[in-house]
Amino acid sequence: MLRYIVQRLIAMAITLFIIISISFFIIHSMPGSIVDDPMLPEDVKLAIEDKYHLNDPLPVQYGYFLKDFLSFNFGTSIKVQPRVSVFDIIKAKLPITLQVNIFSLILTVPVGIILGIVAALKKNRAADHIISIMVILFISVPSFVFAALLQYFVAFKWGLAPILLSTDATLTWTKFKSMILPVLALSFGGIATITRYMRAELCEALNSEYMLLAKTKGLSQVQATVRHAIRNSFIPLANIIIPMFFSILGGSMVIENIFGIPGLGQLSVSSINALDHPLTIATLFFYSLISLLSILVVDLSYGIIDPRIRIGGRK
Amino acid sequence: MSDINDVKNIKIDKEDFEFVQLNEDIKDEKFQGEAIGFFKDAMLRFKKNKASIVAGWIILIIIIMAIIGPSMNGYTYREQHIDWALLPPRIPGLEKLGIFDGTKVMDVKKDNLDEKYSGCVVKILDEYDIEYMGSKTSMVKAKIDIYKLKDAEDVYFWLGTDSIGRDLWTRLWRGSRISLFIGIMSVLINMFIGVVYGAVSGYYGGWVDMVMQRIIEIIGGIPSLVLIILFVMYLGAGIVPFILAMILTGWIGMSRMIRAQFYKYKGQEYVLASRTMGAKDRTLIFRHILPNAIGPIITQATLAVPGAIFTESFLSYLGLGIEAPEPSIGVLLAEGQKVLLDHPHLTLFPAIIISLLMLSFNLFGNGLRDAFDPTLRGQE
Repeated sequence: MLRYIVQRLIAMAITLFIIISISFFIIHSMPGSIVDDPMLPEDVKLAIEDKYHLNDPLPVQYGYFLKDFLSFNFGTSIKVQPRVSVFDIIKAKLPITLQVNIFSLILTVPVGIILGIVAALKKNRAADHIISIMVILFISVPSFVFAALLQYFVAFKWGLAPILLSTDATLTWTKFKSMILPVLALSFGGIATITRYMRAELCEALNSEYMLLAKTKGLSQVQATVRHAIRNSFIPLANIIIPMFFSILGGSMVIENIFGIPGLGQLSVSSINALDHPLTIATLFFYSLISLLSILVVDLSYGIIDPRIRIGGRK
Repeated sequence: MSDINDVKNIKIDKEDFEFVQLNEDIKDEKFQGEAIGFFKDAMLRFKKNKASIVAGWIILIIIIMAIIGPSMNGYTYREQHIDWALLPPRIPGLEKLGIFDGTKVMDVKKDNLDEKYSGCVVKILDEYDIEYMGSKTSMVKAKIDIYKLKDAEDVYFWLGTDSIGRDLWTRLWRGSRISLFIGIMSVLINMFIGVVYGAVSGYYGGWVDMVMQRIIEIIGGIPSLVLIILFVMYLGAGIVPFILAMILTGWIGMSRMIRAQFYKYKGQEYVLASRTMGAKDRTLIFRHILPNAIGPIITQATLAVPGAIFTESFLSYLGLGIEAPEPSIGVLLAEGQKVLLDHPHLTLFPAIIISLLMLSFNLFGNGLRDAFDPTLRGQE
């Protein structure tokens, strides 16, 4: 087990190294320079270029870049928040994004599970069909379309919720109310995914031999379902809920932009648009780190959640 | 002993044999109807799935509209009418029914009704007062004919115009054309790469498979969205960069599926029989094993199209969309988002088209999967 984790961590480090290298060479082969102001005197320009080692050959620059990166010095932002350390910016934005994501998860998981259970128990009846239609709708329609529709109809036309996220620093009632719509827009896809899995797993569990055994030993249908079928169908579900948290984190990029949430997603959008390269590299690096970590956590959790699965390929 | 030696001397003429059952009927049941081939069989099952049929028609209609839509009225996708910016939808015929009639409900000052808006007011819905900085202003909620207001009484923009007066109808269908083209092309190329890669990896196995799977692990380990963003930033936005970016990691899923199919079929007797008769590797791969996977290939490709269209729109929202003036559904949505509250029609129509497209492709793909492999039915 330990050997497996070490192997995975090494693979992860190599992947991250590849990503930052690709990022570096892509960013540095783009046309234009950070000192493109034509009014700037030549010696100032040279001084700036000297300071950032811009007139060194590319491999030397790459060396500096790697040295900085390994000591967690991601540089400072150029345009979005000039001269603020990129690390600090991300540190400041992360809690905002996390807040919305955690609320979304709190909504997604129970609703998804309940809908899935209802659909499985009422298989091929009206409730199941309605839930199936909802699932295909939620999976197909992109989250940003939902966001735009919610924003226009619920917030603007009917005035039921604020249009943008409130700027309160702490979690007040107004802030909570303004978070409802972004959380909803983020959750629909997740709810559909969980419902679909839950229904499939529970349908399979309900038809299994152990359910027959449970009923033979005298349990009622409800007892057998609650104690045996539902419990067993939770096992594979755990493996999609963990990555779901991370995927919401990534998917919120656009939603944050629409609802004016000053989080990581909006940060990456504005850094891409403002050509703020250090910030772009750092946010992309952060997203890569998170998604790689989530894959690792999922793979490790397989063995813990379901002891029948062995990790590492040893017989 | 002598009996055995005698056997050679036994003489049997042809006439000594007689057919026992020559005149009897075979009591087996006769085959009713014709034999049904693989595709015909799948088609029969597919036809039972009403939702998928409807989805197929919707996809077809959108594709046809994407081809002919941009040339249905006189405007081009880049023709600007600065004076006629942000006009609401207006369609001849339908305007008499009160929908798509080029009107818009606006809150205006009552004093302005007779001057600025004279002759344009269709209906006054509500009157109210607002107090601002101590002074009272009487306001009117009125339905106003924007076309009359902007001296455009004789023109019809079926779905309205955007912020620099470009016709949304033309741009919408041209955008659908580009989004569909990006989606379908990237999926086709992914399919091709995935099939070849998976086939070689799965058929040869051994160290070839080992090396090829490690390569996949490395490429697949990089978060695809990050890779796509970097790639599009590098190449600049455009149709070809988008397609290339989606190919970077898109083929991996297909190649894994094909590899699994090859592992399943390559050890079977019919493959051994064909090999014994001298079939080359190429024949075995493409004639004998690959056709088994045709159903899953078509299904997976269909289900991958909405993903590609989604990624394209997603990138447009991030500011990495197709370069202006060329539209795509994502670009239109991102543009519409900026003026969503005042001019919802700019968001609404692209949103409807992209939702319909993604829904239809998903339903169509599910129908195909059920048709090709009935054992998977009901698993969504």
